[in-house]
Amino acid sequence: MRNPIILAGLLALAALPAAQAQETLKLGALVTLSGAGAAWGQGMKNAAEVAADQVNEAGGLEVGGKKYRVQVVAYDDKYQANEAVTVANRLVFEDKVRYIVGPVGSAPVLAIQPMTEKNKVILLTLGFTAKALAAEKPYTFRPNVTTAEVSQPQIDWFVKAQGLRKVGALFPNDETGQQIALDLEAAYKKAGATLSTKEFFERDRVDFVPLLTRMMARGIDAIELDGNSPATAGLIVKQARELGFEGRIVRTGGPATQEIVNVAGKQATEGMLVHTPIDPELPATKAYAERYAAKYKHPMNGFSPAFYDGTLMLFEAMRRAGTVEDTERVRVEMEKLDGFEGSLGKLSWTGHALYGIDHQLNAPFYVAEVKDGREVIRARCTVEGCR
Amino acid sequence: MPLRRRGSDVDWSILLAQATINGLIVGLLYLLMAVGFTLVFGVMRMVNFAHGEFYMLGAFGAYFLTTQAGLSFLPAVALTFALAVVGGAVLEWGVLKPFRRDELNGMIATIGLAMILQNLALMFFGPDPLSMPAVARGTARLDKLVIPLSRVYVVAFALLALALLYGFLRHSRPGRALRAVVEDFEIAAIQGIRSRIYYPLGFGLGVGLAAVAGALMAPLFSVSPFVGATPLLKAFIVVILGGLGSIPGAAVAGLALGLAESYGSLLFESSTADMLIFAIVIVMLVVRPKGLLGRGEA
Repeated sequence: MRNPIILAGLLALAALPAAQAQETLKLGALVTLSGAGAAWGQGMKNAAEVAADQVNEAGGLEVGGKKYRVQVVAYDDKYQANEAVTVANRLVFEDKVRYIVGPVGSAPVLAIQPMTEKNKVILLTLGFTAKALAAEKPYTFRPNVTTAEVSQPQIDWFVKAQGLRKVGALFPNDETGQQIALDLEAAYKKAGATLSTKEFFERDRVDFVPLLTRMMARGIDAIELDGNSPATAGLIVKQARELGFEGRIVRTGGPATQEIVNVAGKQATEGMLVHTPIDPELPATKAYAERYAAKYKHPMNGFSPAFYDGTLMLFEAMRRAGTVEDTERVRVEMEKLDGFEGSLGKLSWTGHALYGIDHQLNAPFYVAEVKDGREVIRARCTVEGCR
Repeated sequence: MPLRRRGSDVDWSILLAQATINGLIVGLLYLLMAVGFTLVFGVMRMVNFAHGEFYMLGAFGAYFLTTQAGLSFLPAVALTFALAVVGGAVLEWGVLKPFRRDELNGMIATIGLAMILQNLALMFFGPDPLSMPAVARGTARLDKLVIPLSRVYVVAFALLALALLYGFLRHSRPGRALRAVVEDFEIAAIQGIRSRIYYPLGFGLGVGLAAVAGALMAPLFSVSPFVGATPLLKAFIVVILGGLGSIPGAAVAGLALGLAESYGSLLFESSTADMLIFAIVIVMLVVRPKGLLGRGEA
């Protein structure tokens, strides 16, 4: 052979099949990548990618004596139930995916569950609705704490420490918003305050001045932002402060501080009290945040570590089950994980009392005050209470 | 009292006055959006589905010119407008020329243009919403009425833009020629008005108005590749109510829509108010399909 380059090329070609003998494990990411919920969806998809990178760098995920290269296949559901069904069908029947990270919204998860449960596809969803987890939906897990877990302890703390009496809130008029409105109303009542003004709006609304005007005219001490997407919550904060609202602004659930500050600016968000599922000082959390920032060049959304942990737990369950094909065995191993060391701390499953099945991740959470656009931890919480 | 009772602690006259002010402010911004939309239709007989994306690009233009290039707000808006007029004219000349006066294909071409523009914005600017600093802080108080100062400024600039447009269309030679093209393209051509100039100019001006609306609303709302959808929908509603192709119709309907939304969300749940707007549109289409001031060619 005259040309050494061609020879080298042929040799490389011959070596290629050996390198590709490693099999591919596809992990679906069915999340919101556009519109108001995109910040959450990006955080979830990126979490799955970081987890996948981590096992791939270590030579692949070893399950039952085989090494798998993990590949994340992402689709956008646009926070809509009909879009979610379309892309879920695509993931399951065309891409042959058996594990899905997502969806973000409550309506989308409820819409795809009939298909995913029937086909034994494991979901790691963010959906806040209580209906997402149920004894008859054994393939759905939720790695993030929701309003049902965090609202009571935090609201007790807000009401006591801040002396709130009358609280106003705006909710998107959909499954998520209606559910959160009910939860919050009960929680504020139990804590000794009232959710005195409730407003529902269509999710694509951007002008809240008329609604805020009416709320402020009725006299409120605080505005609750829970249930709103990060971008929407930012607009509400911005417009409430522009209208001269001087009370507290609180956000009981759903980490969104970074995005709210991006939209509303540092001045409008000063002193806002927010739920945060992460303590940025915790070494494991810090390590994940740094890895995320190095890969994506922007700070992560607060939900992201929960989905990183959820994905790692899924990998661990596959290892223990010794299969990636038989999702029933993987699910059973997933349920057995207890005291798993994740980026959020020690993790286990809970939820039987509320949902009839222990598929809700039990993780610590915090109340933070926003100072100069950054979260400063004010109280540490568990489901039992905040201190 | 015919109004729904919401407790005795609410002063209804103040709330109504406040709703009127809010409604006029929002209506003015709808007007700006709809005038550009209807101008493009009048000149080119083209339903411009990319109008919302030009709004979005205008918002980004103002954002980058103020935060990165360090311009103050008014020059940033003016520069955004100038860039949009030139960019729009070039687009018309380069892309939309074959679709002039071809309603169906023109519509499809602009839908494609909208997708391309939105995805380009997504590639270059990312999906995360950005915040533009407010033009002014604090509130203006008239007795018990509260108006955010940032909105006062925006309204002043919107009025200025509309006054300039009115002056241009009413009194300048190219403006009068443009109106003639809107009125009747063939007669205008017979009178020696050159379509070679007025198609790109009309489209550029329409796009420029969308960009100004985006630039003005950027400090009030947020800036992201997805902000164009809602204003496009509002512009549609306004031109259906006011009559497609009619500039005075767009003016009347824009303000009316702003007020109707504001009163609607004062008196009803906001979702009910949104439904009410569409009910009005349906009634309008059934009873008077040419719109308030349309000329009945639809």
